[in-house]
Amino acid sequence: MQSVENRIKEKAAELLTTKKVDLLIGFERGTMPLRASPAFIYDEADIEKLAWNSFCEMNLARYLTRITSKRVGIIAKGCDSRAIAALVVEGQVKREQIMIIGVPCPGMVDRRKIEKEIKGEIDKVEEKKGEIIVKGNNFEKVFKKNNYLYPCCKVCKHGNPSIYDILIGEKVKENSKVDEYAEITEYEKKSPDKRWEFFEKEVSKCIRCYACRQACPMCYCEECFVDSFHPKWVDKSLDFSDIAIWHIMRVYHQTGRCVSCGACERACPMQINLRFLTEKINKDVKVYFNFEAGLDLSVNPPLAAFDIKDREDFIDTC
Amino acid sequence: MDENNKKIGAVMVVGGGIGGIQASLDLAESGFKVYLVEKNLSIGGVMAQLDKTFPTNDCSMCILSPKLVECARHRNIELLTRCEVESIEGSAGNFKIKVKKHPRFVDVSKCTGCGDCAEVCPVEVPDEYEENLANRKAIYRPFPQATPGAFGIDKSGACCECMQCEKACKAEAILHNMLEQDIELNVGSVIVFPGFDEFEPKLREEYGYGLFSNVVTSIEFERILSASGPFQGHVVRCSDKKTPKKIAWIQCVGSRDSKIERGYCSSVCCMYATKQALITKEHSPDIRTTIFYIDMRAYGKEFDRYIERAKLEYKVRYIRSRISEVKEDAKTHNLKIKYEREDGELVTEEFDMLVLSVGLDVSRSAKDLAEKLNINLNSYGFARVDSLEPLKTSRPGIFAGGVFSGPKDIPETVTSASGACALASALLSSVRGTLVAEKKYPAEKDVSGDIPRIGVFVCQCGINIGGVVNVPLVVEYAKTLPFVVYAEDNLYTCSQDTQDTIKEAIAQHSLNRVVVASCTPRTHEPLFQETIREAGLNRHLFEMANIRDQNSWVHMKQPREATEKAKDLVRMAVAKVSLKEPLGRISLKLTSRGLVIGGGLAGMVSALRLAEEGYEVYLVEKEDTLGGQAKDIYYTLKGEDVQKFLSKLIEKVTSNNKIHIFTAATIEKIEGFVGNFKTTIKLNSSLKELEHGAVIVASGANEYQPTEYLFGKDKRVVTQRKLEELIATKKLNVSNQSSIVMIQCIGSRCDENPYCSRVCCSEAIKNALALKKMNKQVNVYILYRDVRTYGFKEDWYQKAREQGVLFIRYEEDDKPEVKLNKDKLEVLVKDLILEEKLLISADLVVLSTATVPSEDNKELSQLLKVPLNEDGFFMEAHAKLRPVDFATDGIFVCGLAHSPKFIEESICQANACAARACTILSRDELEVEGIVAEVNELKCKGCRLCKEICPYGAIDVELKKVLGKEKEVARVNPALCKGCGACSASCRSGSIDLKGFSDSEILTQIGALV
Amino acid sequence: MKVKEPKIVAFLCNWCSYAGADLAGVSRIQYPPNIRVIRVPCSSRVNPLFILKALQEGVDGVLVAGCHPGDCHYISGNYLARRKFTIFKNLLDYLGIEKDRVHFTWISAAEGARFAEIVKEVTERVKKLGPVKRLVKNRSA
Ligand code: SF4
Ligand code: SF4
Ligand code: SF4
Ligand code: FES
Repeated sequence: MQSVENRIKEKAAELLTTKKVDLLIGFERGTMPLRASPAFIYDEADIEKLAWNSFCEMNLARYLTRITSKRVGIIAKGCDSRAIAALVVEGQVKREQIMIIGVPCPGMVDRRKIEKEIKGEIDKVEEKKGEIIVKGNNFEKVFKKNNYLYPCCKVCKHGNPSIYDILIGEKVKENSKVDEYAEITEYEKKSPDKRWEFFEKEVSKCIRCYACRQACPMCYCEECFVDSFHPKWVDKSLDFSDIAIWHIMRVYHQTGRCVSCGACERACPMQINLRFLTEKINKDVKVYFNFEAGLDLSVNPPLAAFDIKDREDFIDTC
Repeated sequence: MDENNKKIGAVMVVGGGIGGIQASLDLAESGFKVYLVEKNLSIGGVMAQLDKTFPTNDCSMCILSPKLVECARHRNIELLTRCEVESIEGSAGNFKIKVKKHPRFVDVSKCTGCGDCAEVCPVEVPDEYEENLANRKAIYRPFPQATPGAFGIDKSGACCECMQCEKACKAEAILHNMLEQDIELNVGSVIVFPGFDEFEPKLREEYGYGLFSNVVTSIEFERILSASGPFQGHVVRCSDKKTPKKIAWIQCVGSRDSKIERGYCSSVCCMYATKQALITKEHSPDIRTTIFYIDMRAYGKEFDRYIERAKLEYKVRYIRSRISEVKEDAKTHNLKIKYEREDGELVTEEFDMLVLSVGLDVSRSAKDLAEKLNINLNSYGFARVDSLEPLKTSRPGIFAGGVFSGPKDIPETVTSASGACALASALLSSVRGTLVAEKKYPAEKDVSGDIPRIGVFVCQCGINIGGVVNVPLVVEYAKTLPFVVYAEDNLYTCSQDTQDTIKEAIAQHSLNRVVVASCTPRTHEPLFQETIREAGLNRHLFEMANIRDQNSWVHMKQPREATEKAKDLVRMAVAKVSLKEPLGRISLKLTSRGLVIGGGLAGMVSALRLAEEGYEVYLVEKEDTLGGQAKDIYYTLKGEDVQKFLSKLIEKVTSNNKIHIFTAATIEKIEGFVGNFKTTIKLNSSLKELEHGAVIVASGANEYQPTEYLFGKDKRVVTQRKLEELIATKKLNVSNQSSIVMIQCIGSRCDENPYCSRVCCSEAIKNALALKKMNKQVNVYILYRDVRTYGFKEDWYQKAREQGVLFIRYEEDDKPEVKLNKDKLEVLVKDLILEEKLLISADLVVLSTATVPSEDNKELSQLLKVPLNEDGFFMEAHAKLRPVDFATDGIFVCGLAHSPKFIEESICQANACAARACTILSRDELEVEGIVAEVNELKCKGCRLCKEICPYGAIDVELKKVLGKEKEVARVNPALCKGCGACSASCRSGSIDLKGFSDSEILTQIGALV
Repeated sequence: MKVKEPKIVAFLCNWCSYAGADLAGVSRIQYPPNIRVIRVPCSSRVNPLFILKALQEGVDGVLVAGCHPGDCHYISGNYLARRKFTIFKNLLDYLGIEKDRVHFTWISAAEGARFAEIVKEVTERVKKLGPVKRLVKNRSA
C-alpha cells in the first residue's frame, strides 16, 4: 500500500500547487497506533502528513458539508464516494467543486479487535500483503487482515469508488456474491418478542450523545428533528420511548441514503449495534426499490420518487 | 342598442350530468351567472351511477363528487333541480326562457339531509339509481352524494301521503302541498347537455333481457360492481345471488343496428365492457370473462394498452362474433349462447351470467327539448352539428355537446362542455362580469397574539346526533376544556338561525376561534367558515368534530361509547383550533394574455376564440406558414371543404388585432407560473420575451413515414393523404378495371407505436367513397384489423360496404404483403374466412399511416415541465375530468399534441382550451387558498427532497441570504401548491410545514386523543 | 375490573378515505366505537413520526388510509405514501412492534362498507393484542 500512499501525496501536491483545489481532505496517521485521523491540507508543506493504510475507516464525506472552501480535493474509498454521490444528489455538495481522488478500498481493519489481543504498549505497526504486523516492547504479532475487518467491510460490495475524477491504485475485486444482509435475514427469523428484547437492550444503552449523528456523512440537517422545539417531536428525556423514537426515526431518515460505511456504529461510545438498524433499511430499500445509495448521480433516492408498480404487500386488504 | 338586443351576462346550462356540470363551472369561473337546469332531484347524471372509469380505473364517484360540491357551492351557479325548459324567446345574446319547476315537496334550504323522513316512510319502490336492483323509499335522495343533498318526495304514485315524514322531520322541511312553479329567466346563451339514456334492451328480444333473470344490462352491472351498490360490490347474479363462474358480455346491443334505427356505433361500449370484465376479475379472479364483439374499437388514448392488459394480465377472453341466440336453462338459469366462430362453425357455450353492452340512445327528453328550443336534430334524433363547427346547434347562441351531439365518452363530453363555454363566452364577452355576485365582508379581526377564546357549538341534528349522543353532557364537557369560554347545543347547527346565533356568540363572548361538533366538514365546513368570516373571523380559525357521520350514525346502539367518543372528538378539535392561525388568501397579479404554441388548426382556433373572448394572444408557430397538418386534408367524411375552412380561419386569425403571430419562431425558455409566465422565443435569430398568464399547447403531430410495402420504391405505393390530394386535385383517373388496395394500421398498433391512430379507418372509407363516386365500378379493397368507425362514422362504413368496397381483415401477425411481379403490383393477404391467401393485383396501394408524436414534444415538455405519456404525446392532468388541462395550473393542451384525432375533435379541444384558459385570464387577480406549504428557511438545508416529490412542481430550491448567510433553501410557490402536505411529511428536519394541517396541529390532536 | 377499551387513531385522507368513512355513516353501517379520525389532506401528509407519537401517547392502534393507487386527489400522493410506509411498516415489524398495531390500507369514497369492515377488523386485532406497551412513555418516571 506504500505506493498508493505515495501516489496520493504526488497527486495532492499537484492539485495544490496548480491551485486546482484549495483544500485537500485525506487521512493522516493518528497520534495513537492503529489509528488514522482526517487530514485537512491547505498547504503543500503538509502533504507529507498524508497516509493510506488499513485504518482509514472514517468516512471523509462527512466533512464536506461542514467546510467553506470553494474547491476541495478529497480522498474517497468506496463508501466515501457513495456518500459524496448521495450528497451531490441532495444538493449538499456541488459536483464541480469537488475533486474526487478515488482509492479502491480492500476493507478496513477494526483496531479494537486487534487491541483486544494485545497486551502491552505498541511501538510499531507494519502492513504487508494482507497482514498487519504489530510490534511492541517484547512482542511481535501478525494479524491476518481479513479476519479483523470491520463488519461492514466484511460484506462490502462496493470497495471501488462509485464516482471519482482520479483513481489511484488498482481496483479491488468486489465480492458480488456475498449476501450483505445475511445477518439481517437471520435476525428477521427471530420471534417478535425476541427482536423487541434485543432492540430494547441495545437502545437502552443510548445516552443520547448523538455521536452517531455526528459521524454520519448523511446527517447534515441544520436542526435535527430530535432537537426541534417547535414542534417538539421528542422529549429531552432518557425515557426509553424517547430514545427508541430517536433511533427509529434516525434510521428511517436514512432510507435510501445510508451508504453502509459503519461510521455511526464506530462512533457510538456505548457500542450499540446500529448496523442491525441501518442494514435493515438498506436491505428493504434494495429488496423493494432495487436501490443502493450513492451509486448513480442520475437516480433519485427511493423516498424522492415512486413507481406506479411499486410493491404494496404491507397494505391491509381486510 | 334597443332593449331586446342588449346582451345578458348569464348562461343557461340544460342538463346536470358531467357535461352540464363542467360547463357551469367553467362559465361561473369566467365571470358569468349560470342557471343549471336539471330535471332530476340531483345533478350528477349517469356518471354518478358508474363504478370505475376506463382506462384509468378511477372510482367514478370519487372524482365526480368534488365537482358536485363545487357546483353547489359556487356563488355564480344557481342550481335548478326538478326543472324543465318550457319555452324560449329572443335571440343570441338575449333569450327569455320559461322554466317549469316541479315540486320536490321538501324545502331545500331547510332539509339537512339527515334522512329521518326516509326512515319512517312506509312505502318502498324500485330505486332507479340502483337500476331497480334495490328499493328506495317514496321520500328519498337518489344517492348519498346527491347535490343538492336535500330529499324529495316521489308523488308519481309512490307517496301514500301518510304524513309520517312530516312528523319525523325536526327541521320542518317537508311541504306536502308544494306547487309547481313557473320561472322566467333572462340569459345571453344556452348550453344544452341533456345526455343520454341507455338503449332499452327489450327491443332486441333475442337476448332474453327481462325474460331471463341472469341477463343484465351493462349499467345494471355497473351498480352490481359498485361497492355502494345493491350487493356491496359483490359480483353476484340476480337469480340466486351467487357468484357466477362465467360471465359473457355481448357488444353492440342497440348499436350498429340499422334495423332498429340505431345504425351508429355508441363509441364507449368496447371500452366499458373491457373495464367491467377487468374489474370483475379484480373482485373475483376466478370468474371467467368473455366478450363477444364485432370490432374492438379501442380508438382512444391509452385504450389499446388497456385492452392488451385485459387480455394478458387479466385473461379476459375476446371472441369476434355476433350472437345469434340466447337460451336459458330453466333449472340453473344459466344461459346458452349460440355463436358463429370465425371459421364459420356454430358453437354453443354456457354462461351463468350475461351482460348486454347496451348502446347510448339520445336522451329521451332531447326531442321535446329540441322542439322547445327550436334546434335541429339528425335522423337519429341527436343534435345536428357540422364537423367544422361541432359545438354549434342550428340556432345561433345555443351550443350543444356531450352525447347529445353524438356518442361520446366522459373526457370528450367534458371537452365539448368546456368548448361550448368558449363559444358562449366569446358571444357574451362584452357583458362578462356584469351579473356575478361579489360579496362584501367586514374586515378581519386581528387575533394574532391573543389568548384563544373558543366557542363550541354542538349539534343535535334533530335526533340524528341527539338520539344517540348525550349532547348536553358533551356541551358541559366542552366548557371544561382549555380556552373554551362558551359552549351550547343547537337543534340544527347548520340552520340559518343558528348561523345568527353563532355570530352573536362570537360578538358577545369575544370568541376568536370556533368549533362545531356536528356532521362532516366535507360538506359543511364552508358554511360555518362563511359564518365566522361574516362575523369578522378568519375562515381558518375554525375546526369541526364529526360526531354524526363518523359517530352517532355508526354507533347507534352504543350511546355511552358514542358520547365518550364525541367528547374525545371535541377535545381533539378544541386542541387543534387553539393552535390555528389565520391564513391569508394570497392575491397575485396576473397577465391577462394567452400564449398558443402551434399555428395549426387547433392552435388557430384556440387563439381566435381567446381573442374573441377578449384577450390578447401570442401565437407562435415554428413553420413559416400557419395551417399545420390540416393543409393536407381536403374534405371531411361528411363532405365539408376543409381547405376553404382553413383559409377562412387563417384570414380571421391574421386580421384579428388581438392576435400577435410569430411564424418561424421557436420557444427557447418558459419561466414563471399560472398567471405570470415569461416565455422567450427565438425569431430570426433574435430573442423576444413574451409575458402571459396561460399557455395552450397545440404543437401538433407528424405523419408516420412508412418504410414498409415498397413505399418510396414504387410510385404506385402512396399514403392515404397523397391519395386524398390526388383525388381532390383531380390528378387521378380511375377506370372500371382499376384496383386500389388500402392497407390500414401502418405504423399504428404495432410494437413501436402500440396505440391506434383513430382516424385512419374513417379516412380510408372517406377516400374509398370518393373513388366510388368517381367511378362506381372501381375496385377498392380495405385491408384492416378492426374497423374503428365509431359514432356516426359507422354510417359511412355501412355505405362503403353497400357500394361494394371490399373489407378484408388481417391479423397482426399475418400482415399482407406487397410484391412486384414484373412491373405489376400485387397484394397478398390471407382471407380469414376461406383460410387461404388471396392475390389482388393493384394499380395503387394506399397506406393508412399513423399519426406520430412530434419530435419537439420532448423538449417542449421539459420547457413546460409537463409530462408526456409512454407514446410521446402530452399527458393531461386527468384522463377523465381534466382532459385538456395539465396538472400544472395555467397550461392546457389540444389537438394532435394530445393524441391522434379528427378535425372536429381538435376543434372541440381547442375551444375547450380557450374556455379553460379564460377561467384564469378573466380574473382580476389570482386568489390562492391559504392551505399551502411554508418553508422554515432557518432550518431548511435545500436537500431537494420536497422539490422532487411535489406533484405540482410548486417547490424550487434557490440560493438565498438567510440571517446573513448565503444558502440554498426551498421556496414554495403558493400559486402552485395544492396543499397535499407530501413535502412536509417527507422533510427530515421538519423545515416545511403545511398550514392548516401543521405538524403541531396534528401532534396536539394525537396528544388530545388519549 | 373491566378491561380498558382500546383507542385507535385513523389518519384518513380527505378525498377518499374520509369520504368513505362518511359514507359508512350515511349508510348507517355500524362499527366499533374505538376509532378516532384525524383528517389529513392526503395519505402523503402522514409523517411516520405521527404514528410513533401516537403509540408513545398510549394510542393502542393506528390506521392510515388513502385513496386507491391511481385515485389520489394530488395525483401521486398515495404512491409516495406507499413507499414511505413500505419501509416504515417493515421497520416496525422488524423491531418487534406487533404487526397488528399499525395498519395501512386504501379506501375509496365509495367503500363505506369496506371502511366499516376494516375498522371492525383492526379493532378486533388491536383488542387481541391488549393495550399498547412497547414505545409507550413511562409517565410516572
Ligand atoms: S447511517 Fe451510519 S452507516 Fe449509514 S451512512 Fe450514516 S454513518 Fe454511515
Ligand atoms: S425537504 Fe426540508 S430540508 Fe429538504 S429542501 Fe425541502 S424543506 Fe428544505
Ligand atoms: S403541500 Fe403538496 S403541493 Fe404544496 S408544496 Fe408541498 S408537496 Fe407541493
Ligand atoms: S388524496 Fe387520498 S391519498 Fe392522496
